[in-house]
Amino acid sequence: MSQHNLRTVVAFEFLRVVTKRRFWVASLAVPLAVALLFTVVLLSNQSTDQTSQAQKNAQFSFTYTDASGLVTDAVAAEFGGTKASDGPQAIADVKAGTVQAYFAFPANPATEPVHVYGVDSGVFGNGKYSAVARQILVTAAQQKIGSPELSAVAQGNVSMTEEMYKAGQLTSGLNGVIPPLLFLLIFYVSIILLGNQMLNSTLEEKENRVTEMILTTMNPTTLIVGKVVSLFLVGLVQMATFAVPVVVGYLFFRQNLNLPNLDLSHLSLDPQAMIVGFLLLVGGFILFTGTLVAIGAVVPTVKEAGAFFGPMMIMIFIPFYVVSLIVSDPHAVIVQVMTYFPYTAPVTAMLRNGLGSLSLLESCIVLVEVFGLGYVALRVAVRLFRYGSISYSSKLSVRAALRREGAV
Amino acid sequence: MAEPLVHITNFRMDFGDKTVVRDLSFDVHAGETFGFLGSNGSGKTTTLRALLGIYQPTGGVLHIDGKVFEPRDGARLGYLPEERGLYKKESVLDVMEYFGRLKGLSRTGAVSWSRAYLDRVGLADKAATRLDKLSGGQQQKIQLGVTIMNEPELLILDEPTQGFDPVNRRLLMDIIDEQKLAGSTVIMVTHQMDEVERLCDRVILLKDGVAAAYGTVEDVQDSFGATTIRLSCTGTLPASELYDVVSADGRSADLAPRPGADAAEILRELVSGGVDVSSFTTERTSLEEIFIRVYGDQHELAEA
Repeated sequence: MSQHNLRTVVAFEFLRVVTKRRFWVASLAVPLAVALLFTVVLLSNQSTDQTSQAQKNAQFSFTYTDASGLVTDAVAAEFGGTKASDGPQAIADVKAGTVQAYFAFPANPATEPVHVYGVDSGVFGNGKYSAVARQILVTAAQQKIGSPELSAVAQGNVSMTEEMYKAGQLTSGLNGVIPPLLFLLIFYVSIILLGNQMLNSTLEEKENRVTEMILTTMNPTTLIVGKVVSLFLVGLVQMATFAVPVVVGYLFFRQNLNLPNLDLSHLSLDPQAMIVGFLLLVGGFILFTGTLVAIGAVVPTVKEAGAFFGPMMIMIFIPFYVVSLIVSDPHAVIVQVMTYFPYTAPVTAMLRNGLGSLSLLESCIVLVEVFGLGYVALRVAVRLFRYGSISYSSKLSVRAALRREGAV
Repeated sequence: MAEPLVHITNFRMDFGDKTVVRDLSFDVHAGETFGFLGSNGSGKTTTLRALLGIYQPTGGVLHIDGKVFEPRDGARLGYLPEERGLYKKESVLDVMEYFGRLKGLSRTGAVSWSRAYLDRVGLADKAATRLDKLSGGQQQKIQLGVTIMNEPELLILDEPTQGFDPVNRRLLMDIIDEQKLAGSTVIMVTHQMDEVERLCDRVILLKDGVAAAYGTVEDVQDSFGATTIRLSCTGTLPASELYDVVSADGRSADLAPRPGADAAEILRELVSGGVDVSSFTTERTSLEEIFIRVYGDQHELAEA
């Protein structure tokens, strides 16, 4: 019966959320905004590329002087330019409109500016003068080097592979850090998205006066666990909703969006780090859910519950204020405190686990602590719901509720 | 005699320094309809909550079917609480199906029962409507449906007619009657004394946390002055040691016989005293009068 009721609660709580139009409007707002941003970036990139190409290759009459000696007559002629004998006269010609532009290349273009004078072609049209002047210099420099490969190297277009060793063993470097840190990302997303729902989940029973019907029909533990499970499922749906446009954007529009090529084959999955990361995610989720549900059971209204939400959220962001210390000195006192303080432990430990500075012993201690306190928080939440939710319009005395023995 | 379905002995309930129920004992037998009466704040709802494990009793034994109630026994129970409500943002059918499933019905069983019930109470077209779009009376009907949909062995109704108009009250009473005929044991908290007289086999009157009266409706009536004499008459009622005049308007009167006084003796005294009596009937004291007699002093004190 208990299993049957748990399934019934999970199905009811899950479906009543995901079948609501409001849920999809809220959930799709983020990916739609991302998709819109991608589209704008895509169009902007295309437009910029086209404009840049058009400007670089723009043909117009211009004159130039070159103190550096880099620009040959042939290169300038390729772009439609002729050498001016007198700079001030060339500027006067531009002012008079007899030539469209005049470029004054300095003796050292790397340290001195190129002076560009032109007939006004509008805010956007004026860009062609600088674009052509720049392209003339690039082409002239490449000709001077005499090799496309050397030109590419000079521009920093080189790829590298790295091998790092620790105690004689090859380490995975950044490729080993990313996978376990994904659990931290999931933890953040789930708590931020669902925290408010966790806080309000049992308040609904109280505000709607459903509590007595529930308490005489099923064990409150079943209700609480059912709500936690359904919230987790709702979180997965939301995360999938957010991830889809990113994946689609990466797979089909990577070039257009100028996204870097992620070679996932280089990622290293360290079994210990992955298992610890996953367990920290689950334990942290249980701890925060249990605590938020317990708060919801104590307060009489959604409004009052909101006052507790902020501090809980601050708890998960505090470790990021000392993230540089976590990276550079994981054994510092403040990092140790955050590793073991229950509400900063999940984030701090997940960070350290990803960065490889959380030992197996420390992992075990934090996991025992997080799961143990998560279990306690859930039991307290059940007990407070049992007695708190019947206090329909007043705040429950936590001490009084916890004193009642054999209640749950 | 068979074991009672509900057995409460020496029940005591304290909230901090305040004692709500002092020393309450009563039984409810299987198949009977039991009226649980008392003024507001006399401890009725507290007793029901303690019986159903919602409150932890300070003392005493509260058993249903020989043991303390646990939620897993909920499939055999129908409970309509005083503070009631349902998931207001969900549709009527979804909520009924949910509670039906929790009470052990199959999905199709819960849905088909719900549709039949909605049809009966005139809400067939509201199946897909959100509960908060229904009127208070319509929500009450849904609440009652959720309460009885598992055909409970024990039906506990805490002020079931609260919020109903007379038509719907009649419908509700018919449904309770049906449950009774189907074999359900019914415990009913109500202030509608006519309903109690019509439906209940036995009653308990709770006052100051203890039972002020307990037994069959007739037993309780007998224990509170047994009868009222109703007269149609002309003439001045003479003073007598046989009765007290409850009310008189020159054409009719209600007399309360004093202990040991015989109705025939009272009639003879009236006639010999010159009263022209055209009708003379004896009636049991109504539960409403008893209720007023028991709790009247409380209200007077409260008003003072």
